[in-house]
Amino acid sequence: MYLLNLSFFQFLAVFGSIGAVSVALYLLDRSRRKQVVSTLRFWVAAEQPAVAARRRHINQPWSLLLQLIGMGLLLLAIAQLRFGTPALAGRDHVIVLDTSSWMMARSGKGTLMDVAKARARQYLRALPARDRVMLVRADALATPATAFEPTHQKVDAAIVASQPGSTALNLNQALSFARHIQLQEGRRAGEIAFIGPGRTADSGESASAPPKNLRVIAVADNVENCGLRKIGMRRSATDPALWEIYVSAHNYGTAPRNVTMSLDFGTPQQAGRVPIGTQRLSLQPGGDSEASFQYRTTAAGVLGVNLTPHDVFPADDHAEMELPGQPALAVTVYSNEPELLRPVLAATPRVTAVFRRPAEYRANDQGLVILDRFVPPQRPAADSIWIDPPAQGSPIPIRTSVENVPFAGWNPEHPASAGLRTKDFKLEKVSVFEAAPSDGRVGEVAAGPVIVAREGKPKIVVLGFHPALSAMRYELATPLLFANLLRWVSPEIFQRWEITGGSVGTVKVALDRETPQKDIQVTGEDGAPLPFTMRDRTVQFFSGTPGSVRVVAGNREYMYAMTIPELWDSKWVPPPDVRQGIPHFAAVLDSSIDVWPWLAVAGGLCLLAEWVLYGSFRRALRPLLLRHKSRTAAEVRR
Amino acid sequence: MPAPLLDREFLEKLERLTIHWQKSFAGLVGGHNMSRFAGAGQEFLDHRNFHHGDDLRAVNWRAYLRLEKLFLKMFQVEPRVPVRMLVDVSESMTAHGGQKFDYARKLAASLCYVGLVRLDTIEIHGFSGRLAQRIFATGGRHRFPGVMDSLAAMTASGKTDYNAVVRDFIGSYSQRGLVIVISDFLDDQGCERALQYLADFGHELMLLQVWSDEDRTPPWTGELELRDAETGAGLKLDFDDDARRRYTSAFDEYASAIQTMAFRSGGRYAGIATSQSLESVIFGDLIKARGIA
Repeated sequence: MYLLNLSFFQFLAVFGSIGAVSVALYLLDRSRRKQVVSTLRFWVAAEQPAVAARRRHINQPWSLLLQLIGMGLLLLAIAQLRFGTPALAGRDHVIVLDTSSWMMARSGKGTLMDVAKARARQYLRALPARDRVMLVRADALATPATAFEPTHQKVDAAIVASQPGSTALNLNQALSFARHIQLQEGRRAGEIAFIGPGRTADSGESASAPPKNLRVIAVADNVENCGLRKIGMRRSATDPALWEIYVSAHNYGTAPRNVTMSLDFGTPQQAGRVPIGTQRLSLQPGGDSEASFQYRTTAAGVLGVNLTPHDVFPADDHAEMELPGQPALAVTVYSNEPELLRPVLAATPRVTAVFRRPAEYRANDQGLVILDRFVPPQRPAADSIWIDPPAQGSPIPIRTSVENVPFAGWNPEHPASAGLRTKDFKLEKVSVFEAAPSDGRVGEVAAGPVIVAREGKPKIVVLGFHPALSAMRYELATPLLFANLLRWVSPEIFQRWEITGGSVGTVKVALDRETPQKDIQVTGEDGAPLPFTMRDRTVQFFSGTPGSVRVVAGNREYMYAMTIPELWDSKWVPPPDVRQGIPHFAAVLDSSIDVWPWLAVAGGLCLLAEWVLYGSFRRALRPLLLRHKSRTAAEVRR
Repeated sequence: MPAPLLDREFLEKLERLTIHWQKSFAGLVGGHNMSRFAGAGQEFLDHRNFHHGDDLRAVNWRAYLRLEKLFLKMFQVEPRVPVRMLVDVSESMTAHGGQKFDYARKLAASLCYVGLVRLDTIEIHGFSGRLAQRIFATGGRHRFPGVMDSLAAMTASGKTDYNAVVRDFIGSYSQRGLVIVISDFLDDQGCERALQYLADFGHELMLLQVWSDEDRTPPWTGELELRDAETGAGLKLDFDDDARRRYTSAFDEYASAIQTMAFRSGGRYAGIATSQSLESVIFGDLIKARGIA
């Protein structure tokens, strides 16, 4: 017989304290009541003998005994009295099963995962039936697959259902979690059994000492593996149609390897792919090698990267990434003097300009419509730029017209005037607009705004003068103004793309420029936002599953195609004093029975009986009954 | 400022009452109870023979002319009889939270107001071992606030000694009258003889015995260590339901003895529990006992 939650001395100490307090309270409660009365003559007449001699004994000993027995039984229930010896008590074990991506590596006829699962089941069968077991799947995160289960079949089913993940093993975190969960459970801690090859992402230098109850069941692996590590792509700064592709491979093995890296592009199906290029790489043991490719296309498609020949871990020999297309902005210009605007639009890439005469006007043009000193009979449905519109028909009312006025300046707050600088110049004739408070004032003279941008759908920009017919035509600001206006009207066309292919796990993105955190969005493949941290100009986030993550920072967009499994960096070597292999536990029949509910019920019944027979239940009722009797008797006397 | 003993509403109810006594006392004209003694009243009572020294103004001269004998006319008198109240202020009145003492003061104030309304002369004495704390009131209801303040300022102390109190009383007051005793009548030496002596001296007694519920039916059970509030004497005993019955029986027996003594001497008696409302006592028990009407 033993106590599960308390030692014998702890039980004695607690029960002794409770018993002493109970006896003291009992004596206080049952002690002689001191009372001041008007006279003693009637008390003497009551002829009840004095009881001074009895004070040395406990009055109503059965009451005290019932109280002590009741509290003792409740304490035994709390302490979980069990029959047998402590050696027969069950223990709580934690199986830490390696489910990192490396467990996908082939080993014989199966994978490392199959071997590890077999070893885990062997260990589970070796454990006594009364022991409780928890399964923790460990990759970059430690995930409990079961609670502490007394039924080993449930744990066995969880082991069988375990699959390799996509991240590398964080062993230190997994062991800390197992130790913490054992302490938190409060029962006798059993073993923490780690099952796996021990290939971890961390170097192990910062790892804490392994727990004393650690058992390692090693799984042998073959490390001869070469794999893709990182893929980077971006449009060339000089040629937007040109993709610059950068691929990195790593040799995890112990022997030098020669591999062939080939790229193709096309439809998601393998059949319609077009080869981009092939390079042979020579990889030293533990070394990296890089290859660069270029491919010209504006179409969207899938880029495939292959590493041959394949090895024990084929999952990192192939990667596919989705490349976005390069859209162009369709601009329709209605002007009688198209030559004035042709150079400005030609200077801006990603723009396809069509010039028409005002007589050919169509209200349903798509893209962007530029109206040069022309008011159409029906306003365009698309976004539009109105250059020096007549007073009758201007989309933004003209307040006045002024002549020979100096240009006052650009509004630095508005994105359409970003980076614009002009020398002092005068406008011979310019229309000043009556801008609404929500309108953006891009450029102004002393009399008011002369370039106004109105948000909404469609967006509208009005210029009170023709830049190519004013003194501004000599300024560099003229093409920049149009470039800014085009970017403001259709920002998605001019967004810069950078695509990176890598392994799942933690990703750090270094931004080109300082961007406020509110302008940064990190979203997963399903569009759901991912949590991220921001330090200096680096965004950090974690994704535990393969897929693409989109990072939008201002007008730049970064795509992370995390299709390559995260692999290990180092091999963890267990300390020599750690127990290893499948243990041989003594086969002991499970004879423990939970008796604490019965003890709790019995204790409660004892206290209830004491309360009914001797307790305040009766004492509380007595004065009320007596008072009622007294009144009745007084009425009769009168 | 302490709360008044009685509120105005209750005092208004008391105004229709009168303190009654049964004996005939000698006294000056001006009372409200008939006396069998002849005196300078308005109502003709009887004739008697003239004696030397009688007032010639009361001679019936018509009878003399007819019979040539001097007869003296006697008139019925309503004398002003002093009403004296003895309020127990011993420490036994303060047992069990002082309910009895408070009740006794309120009762005394009520009776005093009734007397003042009828222009009686009221004297209130606190007593324990001897007479003390005299309050004199006469001249109508407007004197009552002073009486009430004095009653409220009374304090309880001392051990009851009825023999000494009665001796003091008789020594102080030669004129007979109504004596109202408001007390628990708990004196270890007994109070019957002293009260009987007071009655024998010619006073009419109205005994109002005040007790608390704890006095008559102690609610406690088990081992008790008792202390007498007046003497400080102690007693340890086991108290159970049987003992409580014996206790109550002894108490009732004692109250009956006081009641018998009061009736035997031509007085009145009322037993009052503090759990009763004052109004029910004044308009119920005391009227039933013919103490007031």
